[in-house]
Amino acid sequence: MTRVLDDTLYALLLFVVALVVVFLLMPLVITIGMAFDARDYLGNFPPRALSLQWFKHFFSDEFYMNGLTTSISVAVASTVLSTIIGLTAATALAEGRFGYKQALNTLFLSPLVVPSVVVGFALLLFFSKIGLYSGFLPLLGGHVIITLPYTIRVSLAGLVGIPRSVKEAALVLGANEWRAFFTVSLPLARTSIFAAAVFAFVFSMDDVAVSLFLSSVNTYTLPVAMVGMMRSHFDLSIAAAAVFMMVVMTTLMLCVDRLSGVNKILAGD
Amino acid sequence: MTRLSRASARNLFLLVPPLVVFTFLLIIPLGNVLDQSFRHFEAGGIGASDYAPYTLHNYAELLDRAYFFYFAQTFRLALISSVISVILAFPIAYLIARMRSHFWRGLASGALIAILSVSTLVRVYSLLLTLGPVGFGRPLSLFLGLSPNSATYTELMVLAGLVYFHTPVAALILIGTIQAINSRLVEAAQSLGVPLWKSHFSITIPLSLHGITAAFLISLSVCVSAFVIPLVLGKGKVLFVSNLIYSRFSEVANYPSGSAISIVLLAIAIVLVTVLPWLLSYLNRSTVAA
Repeated sequence: MTRVLDDTLYALLLFVVALVVVFLLMPLVITIGMAFDARDYLGNFPPRALSLQWFKHFFSDEFYMNGLTTSISVAVASTVLSTIIGLTAATALAEGRFGYKQALNTLFLSPLVVPSVVVGFALLLFFSKIGLYSGFLPLLGGHVIITLPYTIRVSLAGLVGIPRSVKEAALVLGANEWRAFFTVSLPLARTSIFAAAVFAFVFSMDDVAVSLFLSSVNTYTLPVAMVGMMRSHFDLSIAAAAVFMMVVMTTLMLCVDRLSGVNKILAGD
Repeated sequence: MTRLSRASARNLFLLVPPLVVFTFLLIIPLGNVLDQSFRHFEAGGIGASDYAPYTLHNYAELLDRAYFFYFAQTFRLALISSVISVILAFPIAYLIARMRSHFWRGLASGALIAILSVSTLVRVYSLLLTLGPVGFGRPLSLFLGLSPNSATYTELMVLAGLVYFHTPVAALILIGTIQAINSRLVEAAQSLGVPLWKSHFSITIPLSLHGITAAFLISLSVCVSAFVIPLVLGKGKVLFVSNLIYSRFSEVANYPSGSAISIVLLAIAIVLVTVLPWLLSYLNRSTVAA
């Protein structure tokens, strides 16, 4: 009797898990399928014939390409800034022995607590107060502040892992602090620093909320363009854009995973 | 100068760039929002002028029933979706945590991470397609007896979106918790004649309670400040507090009111992320002590 009940419940459990897995994967399958749809109207899934027309549309549409160009330039610039500033903060946190270290740690991770809409709204008000109404700089500022917690955290994880004795050896052998940093710490932490950079790039490309506030008619990111298209003409060029983003991001994340294990970073400390 | 003090001088120097960035891109802008939230609203221009008088009106307004509705809606949907996410995540996490093969366990949690690494907007759009016109929108709404354009169906779509995003996160948190539980405890209960389902309810679930609370709180705090999910799936019919802030900017250009809502949302987020976990662990400790 107990066995029967146990088995039934176990079967039920497996059924629920299977349903959830289908629920998690189905939308992505549908989007990928629909991006290759040969029909030029919104038909039902699955497509009857396949074509690359929506990708052609995406890559030849000026609205999307303008967004993509801005997205990539903002992502590259904010990645460079965020990685360098993150590295300086992480170095100070890893090696410094000061009392307010915990407070600084909290400050540096705080953008994760502030809802991104609030960050976007606050930056919009601040930038217009100082006369920066539109263009590249507001977007860059927004992306630097939302990616910094990740670059600080990831490069800190790499720097903390270096045994103190290695650097002390360099100091004993006569290297000064700077030289010890550039010849010992930096090369040893390079995997984490690279991972930090990829993270910054991915999170910058991914952002919607902050960019939506800081975009203007001529300077907007690809996700902002996609949101705009979802509202105005809902066609499958958005699916093609989505598949494009999926391929780029997945490739980048696979790179990081090979290097350092996304697992550890997403799971937190 | 001694070597130590030179090192700490260098550290202070290294802290300059991040501190400048955090001051100008986070602290001053948030301080400005706090200031704006107490200013009297005058139409025109971005933000109230520096001479606008101070008032509590922007906060008092939020107590109005129309505003309260949005806060209630946000909380209700965030709460329901967090509960559903944790319930759906538990069996998945259990199956993964108890996998014998190291390879399959890695692959399964890798798949969860892969889903999480897909861009937010891409996932939201995928759900919109799936639950909307080209996917299962029509059969699903017919099955539920709702019109695909009704407010209830839209609300269900937002709910599905929140669950879609937070089930994998909750599962990843719970895998670690469940792995830490000694599986012999359940085996021992079983060998003493307790049915398997009962031993799970009296052993596995109570022992993973801290993981369950953590997963629930993380999901709740992220859901409460959700923006993209209700923006796209809510189609203007379901508005979260975040969307209200956005509409203060994009539609009515009432910045003092948007500031007041921002401050309230920020306060809620801080309470959910810092105070609540602390309170729970405190209560936990005191019950253990008692």
